[in-house]
This record gives sequence, structure tokens and C-alpha cells, in this order.
Amino acid sequence: MFDLDLRSILKCVRCGACRSVCPVLEEIRWESAGPRGRMLVAHGISQGLDVDTDVLDSLNTCMTCGMCKQMCPAGANPISVIENTRRQLVMRGEMTEAQRKLNERIIQSGNSLGEMSDRHAWLGGYDGVIKETAGYVYFVGCLGAYRYPESLVATFDVLSHFDVTILPDEVCCGSPLNRTGFESAEMITHNAEQMHKVHAHTFITSCAGCHNTLIQNYSGEFEVMHVSEFLEQHLSELELKRLNLTVTYHDACHLGRCQGVFDAPRKVITAVCDLKEMKTNRENARCCGGGGGVRTGYPDLSLALAKKRLEEIPDGVDYLITSCPLCTKNLIEGGSDTDVIDLMELVRLAME
Amino acid sequence: MDVIKKLQKIVGIDRATTSPVQLYCYSSDSSQIRGTPDYVVRPQNTEQVSQLMRFANKHGIPVTARGAGTGLAGGAVALNGGIVLDLSGMDMILDIDINNLQVAIEPGVIHSRLNKALEPKGFFFPPDPGSSEMCTLGGLIANNGSGMRTVKYGTTKNYVLDLEVVMADGSVINTGSKTLKSSAGYDLTRLMVGSEGTLGIITKAVLKILPLPKARTVMLASFKTPELAGDVVVKTLSAGVIPSACEILDRVTVEVLNAYDPNIAIPDAGATILFELDGTKGSVQEQAKVVEIVCKPLASGIRIATDREEMEEIWSARRLVGAAISRINPNKVRVYVGEDIGVPIKEIPRMLKLVQSISKEFDLSIMTYGHIGDGNLHTGMCIDMLDNEQWEQLDLAADKIHRTAIMLGGTVSAEHGIGSARSRYMRLERGDALDVMILIKRALDPKGILNPGKLGV
Repeated sequence: MFDLDLRSILKCVRCGACRSVCPVLEEIRWESAGPRGRMLVAHGISQGLDVDTDVLDSLNTCMTCGMCKQMCPAGANPISVIENTRRQLVMRGEMTEAQRKLNERIIQSGNSLGEMSDRHAWLGGYDGVIKETAGYVYFVGCLGAYRYPESLVATFDVLSHFDVTILPDEVCCGSPLNRTGFESAEMITHNAEQMHKVHAHTFITSCAGCHNTLIQNYSGEFEVMHVSEFLEQHLSELELKRLNLTVTYHDACHLGRCQGVFDAPRKVITAVCDLKEMKTNRENARCCGGGGGVRTGYPDLSLALAKKRLEEIPDGVDYLITSCPLCTKNLIEGGSDTDVIDLMELVRLAME
Repeated sequence: MDVIKKLQKIVGIDRATTSPVQLYCYSSDSSQIRGTPDYVVRPQNTEQVSQLMRFANKHGIPVTARGAGTGLAGGAVALNGGIVLDLSGMDMILDIDINNLQVAIEPGVIHSRLNKALEPKGFFFPPDPGSSEMCTLGGLIANNGSGMRTVKYGTTKNYVLDLEVVMADGSVINTGSKTLKSSAGYDLTRLMVGSEGTLGIITKAVLKILPLPKARTVMLASFKTPELAGDVVVKTLSAGVIPSACEILDRVTVEVLNAYDPNIAIPDAGATILFELDGTKGSVQEQAKVVEIVCKPLASGIRIATDREEMEEIWSARRLVGAAISRINPNKVRVYVGEDIGVPIKEIPRMLKLVQSISKEFDLSIMTYGHIGDGNLHTGMCIDMLDNEQWEQLDLAADKIHRTAIMLGGTVSAEHGIGSARSRYMRLERGDALDVMILIKRALDPKGILNPGKLGV
């Protein structure tokens, strides 16, 4: 029996308000590519609609950016319905090739990139300075560890001055699995055990996907802070110098709209330079195009959406600042003319 | 004959489909009406629509036009299969002609987008539907939709100067001209406005626009009972003030609004009237004074909002309140039936009372809100979707609401359209005029391929 929460699906009154905000629908234009269409598809599946490639594409092109959930007058939660439906289909063995491969990669390697090399390679110069126990743990995340070591170094350079360590054996937080319909219980248990080992009470994140997942899918026994929230509390201790720069800031969906972290990154930015907002920002910020498994499963769509986000960069800025490596990657690959750097790299510039 | 191949030849391979998931997604709008099309086609221009119609007419294939599918009466649902024409992709604002006080648009332009484009130029398109952010102008025209500013500015039909229409046989006509008035022959423009895709497919429209008023004020007046609120509206209008909007919100609606957007904090009351006054600064002040004098003896409280952000927040929440009932009761969902009656203005207090007794009779919570200044009440019924008994009560209550409105000299649909959800009331409401409509339909669409099963024709 197909275990979908019918009541959550039926909350959608099909008013179509979500049509006005869904970036994927704007791109693809078929009804099945918008939140209302996906809610219908979820309902259809519960009533026996055959699952074919088009059904999988409808469900899997959702970036889980949360625009629809935020604006739904009826209070429906399409993200949760879509993720639940993906999960139900995966349990039946119905998934796209991209989903299957992603799952395999993570199970085999413990990271979303399928890297078999040392997750701590970026630590090079820190040997011996890692604390065995600390109240706070910097959860580095897969993409940072394997693709953006320089931004991790920038972050850890700052954090290592405080009661912060890293997990001796961190694995993927589980976000890509949860978003695309798989289970991540093993990863969650493993990371939680590591937290106990170092006696930590709080995760510090620098990836929006990890941040959202550590809050949503972990038991709640640990506090979760984005690195900008941690820094905001310690700004006076950092002796940051003022940079002669004007930057703009991209709100990552899973950090901003989904978890309400809007002010802290802005406070950190304006402590070191001038900020000029993007055309849509804070709650209304457009997605970078990379979330929800879309970057992996539908790269062309993902890059088209990244380009649209890049069109919103205001004139006369030196950098586009992000607070999530997936956003960084997608916006760079979307062809940004403006240099895209992580918030912590900006902070690092202000410490030199 | 391979119909899909022919359709794809006309619009391109990626723009016509028989994919089961698309057919499923295009099988409904916001109403409870369902009908699965055999094909969904997304044309890009008039020429393609014309070719599609020629082909469909030749082979007797039904064609149902659709904008954003936000309709509340099944107007865009293909009851007899055939083709659903998704026109939302024909979405160019073709010309903003301020000197001639008009714009030319394609049917897929979203309502709010037009007004966002006009605002910097100091102009606006006055009809203001609750679905402004998502409905298409083509759908608005085809249903003669309107919204909150009707009391002063009229409905969509008052703003359509010319329509390019593809007829059932594929021929293309223009119904009007670029002039602000014309007395050249039958008014085909008005015939097409509100025809719900049963007489032709609108592919372009020229719309009249107006200068934005220099000043606006919103007044919220609270009352112990809906009848008192209804009295005040009648008195305000007869005192010579025509507000640019005049909305009633009953107690449940206010509770829902506050839950949807706690910032607006409207006080709890038996009923609330939202007046919007516009004009020059001086005239707005004068009108506000009159409204205050009329309200004072009957209202339990009056609040004035002049801050633009506060006003916009109130209107944004009001526009979407219809769907928001689940915010106060997660197990109840708004179902759009019997939701759009209109009655003569002076019958409003009586209608409000009758709605309350219908609510009691069928044991259904009904949130009542709407454009009380023009007699249009939205009776929002909410049920537990998993309770079959409530569905039955809902249909009975909707039927009674419709018949009561007609009995008071009103209409079963003031702005949402008839579609198939309300077609059975057409004879009762329009009498022999329905026969004339049927004759027109037969003359213009002899094969009956344009949106069959709608409007009672």
C-alpha cells in the first residue's frame, strides 16, 4: 500500500498561487513542472497513476527551494509532499538513473562526490592543532572538503581561535539522500556518535544543505549554527579591518528561506565592506538552481536557472558572496562575470 | 490519422503531448470539475492557433482554451477530451501606448505583470482580481473577471477595446479597434468577453488603461454583525461616496487573515468593512470624512491606513484569503463551490443573513467575504476532504446559495464564470435569453468543438 499523507496533499486547493513563484515552472512551462502539478502528480500516484519517466521528471525537477511553501495561502508544504513521494517511489525501486548513482556514490564513499581520497586532506597545515574535544564542531560538508578546500581553510583559520574542532571521521550529513528519496539513518548515527566522542553540543555549518539537514533530520540533541551566526557573536574579538569593496549576497534557499538565517551573513558582510542587495533577496531570493538534486539530475535546467539568478547581480559590485558551496559551484558554472566567493573568504581578506 | 503528429507539426515537437502525466496535470483547475484531455498543446502565436483550429474543426476535435488554470468553475477543463490549448506561453506585452491610453497584450500575460509594467509610467489596468499574481489576462477576459475595484472602476468588459480572436474554423478576426469608442455594428468585443472560450480563442487584446490615482487610503471599520456592515455600505454609496474598493470580511475571514499574516492585526469583530478611497489628496480626505460620519453610529471601531506598505500588506493578504482557511483548522480545506454570488446592493444585508442560516442548516462553516460594494459575495465553504457526508452537505448548501441569490434578483457568478460548475443554473437565471445564447453558439461554432459542456450552451 502506498503510504502517502493524503491530507497533506489535499491541503492544496489548486489555486495556482505557487505558479507565480516557481522558477522551474517559469523555465519548463508545462504544468507538471510546477508545485501545483507536482501535488497533483503525488495525488495521482496515490490513486494508481503509472510512474513513467515524465512522472519522475516532474517530481525530481523540484529544487526544494521553498518558494511555493512560503507563499502557499493554504499552508500546504509541497517540499515535504514531494520528498515523501520521492521516498515512496525509491522504496518501490522507481527512480532516475541520476538518483540511483548518487545513492551508490554516497553509500560507497561516504560523500556525495564519490571521492575515495582523504576527507581531511584540506587540513594539511593544521596537523597537530586539532582539538580532541570542544563545545563546537565545524561540520565541513562534502562539497567543501573535496572542491573548496580554500574556503574551508579560510573558515577554520577563523574558527580555530575558538572552542571549535572538527569531527575525526565526518561523513556526508545525509542531505542529498534525504532530498532525493533515500534513507540517511546510518550517516546521521555515525556523525552523532562522533559528536559524542568530542563532547560537542553545537554544529557550526558553512553549507546551507548541511545546515538544513542537521536541523531537520537529526534528533535535535545538538544545536546548529551557521558560521555567520557564530561569527556575528564574536565580531568584536576578530579585529577585522574595513575593505574597500562593495559586494552583493546570494541567500541560499536552505539557509535563508528554509531556516530563516538572513541577518547574520549581512551583519558579517557589512562589518567588513559595503553590501548592495541582489534584485530578489532574503525571503524572496531566487534559487541558484542547484538544490534538491537538480544539479545532479538535470544539469542543463540547473545552469539555466543559475544564469537567471546571475542576471540579478547589481551593477558595480566586486564580489558575489555566498554561504553555501553548492550555490558557489552552480553560480560559477552558470558563467558569473562577477567573482563568486564564500562569505568566509571575504572575512579572511579582512583579517589579512 | 495520427493526431499528435499533426499537432506537433503545427507547434513543434516539444509543444504538443499525450504524456499521461501532462494529461493528468491539465485535467483540473481550482474547481471540483474534472476532465482529461487527449492532447495538451502550447502554441506560440496566432498563426499556430489558427492552424490548430482549422485542423480541429475539420476533424471535430474539441478544443478547450486555458490560461493559468486558476479558474473556479471548470471553464478550462476539457469535459469531452480533445485538445487543451495552454496559452500561458503567449505572454508578451506587445505595446504600452500611453498617448492612446491603451496596451496591447497576448493572452498569457499575468495580470500583476501588466500593472507592474504600467506603474512606473503612472498608469494602471483597474480590474484587480484576487488571483492577480497568477491569473492570465486571457482568462480574465474570457470570464469577465474583475475583483476588488469594481465598485468604482467596473469589470474587465469596461476595459477591452479590441480582441484578436481565432474562430472555430480557424479564421482570425478583430472585434474592435484602437479607438476608445466605436458604434460600428454589433459589439463583438463584449460578446467575446465572458464567453469562456465557447465562441473563439482570444490571441491578442487591446485594453484601456487609466492614470493611477494620486492618493489612496484604506479604512477598516468593525461591526457587531454582518447586517450592520451591509447597512453601512448601502448608506456610504447613497451618501455619494464611491470607494475604489469596498470589501466585507466576516469574523472567520478576519481570523484567517490574521493567521496568514499576523502583521496586519485586524481587530476581531462580527464583520469588518475594508474601504479603499482614491483620488487626489483632498478628495480622499473628503471621502474619508463622509465614510467616518456614516460609520460612526454603527461601527464598533475605525482604523485608517495611509502608509503604502501597510495598505499593500492588507490587500496582498486579502487577495489570497480564500485559500487560507486551513491556517486556522488544518483539517478543513476550502472547496470552491457556490462561492461567487452577486446580488443587488440593497439586498446585501438580507443575503448575508440568509447565508448564515444556510450555514446553520447544513452545519457547514462558511467564511463570507467579498466585494460588498458591488454586491458580490464570496461564500467560502470548508470541509474535511476525507468526510463524504460533508461533501454531500456542501453540494446541497451551494445549491441553496445559488438559488437564493437568483431569488433576490442576483446572479450565480459575479466574476468567476459559469464553466460547467454552474451551467445548470443558466436557464433559471437567464430564462429565454439562454436560447439566444445557444443560437449564437450554433452560428459561430456549428460543430460544437469550442469548450463543449460549458455555460449551458
